[in-house]
Amino acid sequence: MKTLIIENIDLKKIGELMTVSRLFCDTPDIIALGDGEIPGSFGRAWQSAATVSANLVVPITQLIQQEGYEVILMSVSTLGTGLAGPLSAALSAPVITEVTAIHPDMVVDRPVYGGKAIIKYKIESTPSLLTIRRKYFEPEALAGTTPSVPLETGDEKVTLVSEKIEQTEGIPLEDAAVIVSGGRGMGDPENFALLQEMADLLNGAVGASRGAVDEGWASPTRQIGQTGKIVAPDVYFAVGISGASQHLAGIANSKCVVGINKDEEANIFNRARFGIVSDYKKIVPLLTQAIREDR
Amino acid sequence: MARIPYWNISYGVIIDLLAIPVFLIFVYGLYLQWQLIKKGQLRVIPSITKVFQGIGTFRPGAFFMRGILNPKIYRKPASGVAHGCVFWGMALLFVGTNLVILNILFGLPVFTGAFNRWFMSFTLDLAGLLVLGGIVFFLLRRQFMPDRLKIPEARTGFVLVSSLLGVLIITGFVIEGARLCANTPEAGAFVGNFLAASVISQTSALQIHTMTWWVHGLLALFFVAYIPFSPLVHIILAPVNSGFADPSPGVKMGVMDFSAFDDEDAEELPALGADKLADFTRKRFLDFASCLWCGRCQEACPAHNTQKPLSPKGVIVTLAQKLAAGEMEDSVMETLSMEAIFNCTTCAACMEVCPVSINQPKTIMRFRQNLVMEQGQMPELMGKAITSLEQRSHPFFGTGSGAAEWRKDLEVPKFEAGKTEYLLWIGCSITYEQRAWTIGRAMVNILKSAHVSFGILEDSRCTGDPAKQMGNEFLFAEIAQQNIDDFSALGIQKIITMCPHCYNSFTRHYPKMGGQYEVIPHASFIRTLVDDKKLQLDRNAQTITYHDPCYLGRRNGVYDDPRNVIASVGNLVEMPRNKNESFCCGGGGGNYWAEETGTRINQARAGEALGTDADAIAVACPFCLLMLTDGVKKYTEEIKAFDIAEIVEKCLPDMAEG
Amino acid sequence: MHIAVLAKVVPDYEVPSMDFELSNGRAHERFSRMMGLYDENAIETGIQLKDKTGSSLTLISYGLDSDVQFLRKGVAMGADKLVLVKGTSDDAAVIAQNIKQAVEHLGDVDLILAGQQSADMDRGVVPGILAQMLGAAFVPQVGYIESAADQWKVSQMTATGRRELEFNGLGVLSITSIPENVPRIPAVRAIFGAKKKPVVKLDGIDQGKMALAEISVEIPKIESVCEFIDAEDPNEAVKTLLSRLTEERYI
Repeated sequence: MKTLIIENIDLKKIGELMTVSRLFCDTPDIIALGDGEIPGSFGRAWQSAATVSANLVVPITQLIQQEGYEVILMSVSTLGTGLAGPLSAALSAPVITEVTAIHPDMVVDRPVYGGKAIIKYKIESTPSLLTIRRKYFEPEALAGTTPSVPLETGDEKVTLVSEKIEQTEGIPLEDAAVIVSGGRGMGDPENFALLQEMADLLNGAVGASRGAVDEGWASPTRQIGQTGKIVAPDVYFAVGISGASQHLAGIANSKCVVGINKDEEANIFNRARFGIVSDYKKIVPLLTQAIREDR
Repeated sequence: MARIPYWNISYGVIIDLLAIPVFLIFVYGLYLQWQLIKKGQLRVIPSITKVFQGIGTFRPGAFFMRGILNPKIYRKPASGVAHGCVFWGMALLFVGTNLVILNILFGLPVFTGAFNRWFMSFTLDLAGLLVLGGIVFFLLRRQFMPDRLKIPEARTGFVLVSSLLGVLIITGFVIEGARLCANTPEAGAFVGNFLAASVISQTSALQIHTMTWWVHGLLALFFVAYIPFSPLVHIILAPVNSGFADPSPGVKMGVMDFSAFDDEDAEELPALGADKLADFTRKRFLDFASCLWCGRCQEACPAHNTQKPLSPKGVIVTLAQKLAAGEMEDSVMETLSMEAIFNCTTCAACMEVCPVSINQPKTIMRFRQNLVMEQGQMPELMGKAITSLEQRSHPFFGTGSGAAEWRKDLEVPKFEAGKTEYLLWIGCSITYEQRAWTIGRAMVNILKSAHVSFGILEDSRCTGDPAKQMGNEFLFAEIAQQNIDDFSALGIQKIITMCPHCYNSFTRHYPKMGGQYEVIPHASFIRTLVDDKKLQLDRNAQTITYHDPCYLGRRNGVYDDPRNVIASVGNLVEMPRNKNESFCCGGGGGNYWAEETGTRINQARAGEALGTDADAIAVACPFCLLMLTDGVKKYTEEIKAFDIAEIVEKCLPDMAEG
Repeated sequence: MHIAVLAKVVPDYEVPSMDFELSNGRAHERFSRMMGLYDENAIETGIQLKDKTGSSLTLISYGLDSDVQFLRKGVAMGADKLVLVKGTSDDAAVIAQNIKQAVEHLGDVDLILAGQQSADMDRGVVPGILAQMLGAAFVPQVGYIESAADQWKVSQMTATGRRELEFNGLGVLSITSIPENVPRIPAVRAIFGAKKKPVVKLDGIDQGKMALAEISVEIPKIESVCEFIDAEDPNEAVKTLLSRLTEERYI
């Protein structure tokens, strides 16, 4: 099937979508957004520096119609979410967001009810639009680059005045092998420093639950969960996180979850591989110390 | 020789005549107090007709027992005895003085024989000494004030009245001494005789007598006139306030009628709760005016004891100051913080110890009602609990338990109209908190073992009590009305509760909304089963201490039933603070859903319980169980806290079989 | 100015996984119904904007008659009226079509806010479809909104930071949760007041479905057995944890 990837220039995201595209075709085409060379080998490639989805709907719609794409792949991101709905309406195309699995015959899975259930759809027409949930498909290693032609974007509907990139020091959450995450049970923003110290020693990153972000203790860019970042580390330390299903949805692909919570009934223990029922203030500093001694 | 009235005094009748204007000033002073109290809202209760001047029902028995005899004052032995000495000493002296007047007016023979010797001389001398002793204690204590008097502020004016009274007593003795010095010693008048013999010189006795007599008489008149304008007015206000106090134990918040809000034609809608002095009733004004700022309430308060911003004394003092200054319309919340208002666990320990029958929790709850219902303001966790209660009919947001999980693999009969006798009311905590599941399971097994006809409701329910405790009377009324309607449909008449909060709601609030039931707390029900030999229990040597839940103990007077049950399975040991002096677990007043500052109340109470070295800590409330289970963790990993039903279940002989 | 906020009544999104149950491929009807999580954030954002700009605010929902009782909370929070389009479709295109009808019914809407995603289907796609149908700009994941001289200035909370965007004319914004838009708890007076505010009910249309066939809905089996590490001696506990993590080659 004729497949188009729409993605910002980002090795991991394009890599994941490349993996997905192999289920539909040999070589996909791409609309790559942002500056830089397009990694990987594509049939055809278009590129634009514009990244605001609202300004891309018209040109992308035209391109899809002209070229007759049958499957359009995006990832669940500001760009993908911004494009999925409008493109679906403009193309009268079925759209499925947050896809977590793809089966033969255009059957796809996506979670509903905060991940408490999985719904299976069969797509019955082309073109169709899919946004792929991060971390559910191993990113393909992209070799080489593909030269592109510019994508004409025309008038701007929405103006990008400025963009501030949060300086997340160290490793991005999505790429971290170890994540130390804090929730509302932290009780205090100051104590996130404890998590940072531990994460630094493990070459990991610090995450947060929606509760902690809503409290203003952690930046929204640190939020992990269904509506935050989807992560898949080797070890995920959930500190003072009760484990609402929406949070668990974001860590579903973590290999090992360690729950540290003083409430033994906390739902996180239903997902955790290891659990310590105790006040994190007792455990985390000792754990940090033990890791330091271990190295 | 019998005493002669006005001996050695010319124109003594002047004092008697001056007593008339003094009496008028005294009455005028009280009238001013009434003018102040009258500014409060009228208490409008259609069903109660005996509402005296819009304050409430006056109960002479309480006036006398709680107000005059006042056993509570003696809980602090030193200041209690000092109060007793001064009050009862002055009462005797007052009687003596009146007898003298009767002697003058009608020649009542009080100055002769044994009566003169034992009453007019000995008893009144003794009374004078007791008063003087009490005064000395009070004056010393004002010099070296304990924290409860100082924090946050001490009431002034006591030193002046105490000193005045002291001078009165001393001058009284001097008069007596001088009189006896000039005449002959009198049998029984041991103080007067002593002064006559050793202090006053014979030569100046007559002169001293005359001078002191006038000083004493005029001072006494001034003293009486000054009473209503000094803190001493509490000798009137305190018994009156006790006479108007609600006779039932604990805080009775009543139920609110919201029908006016639905009424299209209603003009001005009443303010919900209070945010300024003017919003309070006359009874509360009387509370504020009666308060001596003695701080016994704050000494008993679990919040104040654990370094939280709330002091019940502070709340009342703030309002008393506003009342004295006539600041009716100023917002009080600027002085009191929202945090303090929500610190109250509604445990009623403050009102339990208050010697002048002030209802501090009711005042605090009025503020809370206003914050929640008028302003939508409350601490975040309580807001979440309220929202959850509204959305899912239970306050346990984020619970990991499904509605029927507590009774998984346990056969529990459903209540069937016309067939089942007792409704076993489960409530929210037992359903949604895993640690509390076993209370429900244990009780089911106990009832089965005793072959009681009982059943539960199909769905999980809440009485609405958490909303009420957090000040949301509206949500409470909605939930309660729904329950009452459903109970009527099912023909429910008898209810067994495992949660004292549910019990309190059913017995105190539901009847006012049309829900009349026979409600039995599970501890009492188990006791009856044991007494009636329907339940055979294996007694063992375990020692068990019992934590009185505030809503079962102080609020409803159930102290003995749980203790009897415990005694039937093990050995009861008491904590230092028990029964009506029990210390809250910290979970009341919606504070189960609170981020505590300072020491955690449940840890303080758990420490006290563990201090008894008992094998187990028994409670009769799921919230207490949850709080203490958590509190115990500070000291030991062992599970120590159990509900009384769990303890009894373990002693059922047939439990071994399964 | 007229702000519309979309809200959807959904089954309790906090039902614990262990207790979750389906009937006919949807959450069991025994679960309580309530407004979605992000919907309340959107309403709160809308009310703050309404108060700042002196606008009027209308709540729009697509659902059942019986949803009105739950939507009243949104009115009590500060909306002026409620428009309910009646229907039962789960199809994003159909829902958008119906909401478009409500927006057109109102006629003068200047800005449309919606929760980032509904708390049942978790799709987040309806606002985007609606925007396209209305010819409006769609900006997802918005945290802050300001109105300045014929322009909307909005902050988009992206995965990497924050973007400041500007646009003219009608926009559809999907709202994310931020510390400033924690939903307020309505006062009792407002709850009663909400009962008197107008409710407009429109009959929905059930056409324009997407070409998708729903094959099945299933509850995934979570198989994780938690190994609890005794925390009596915290020193011992962390050592045990580290050695277990190393043994199983996670670290």
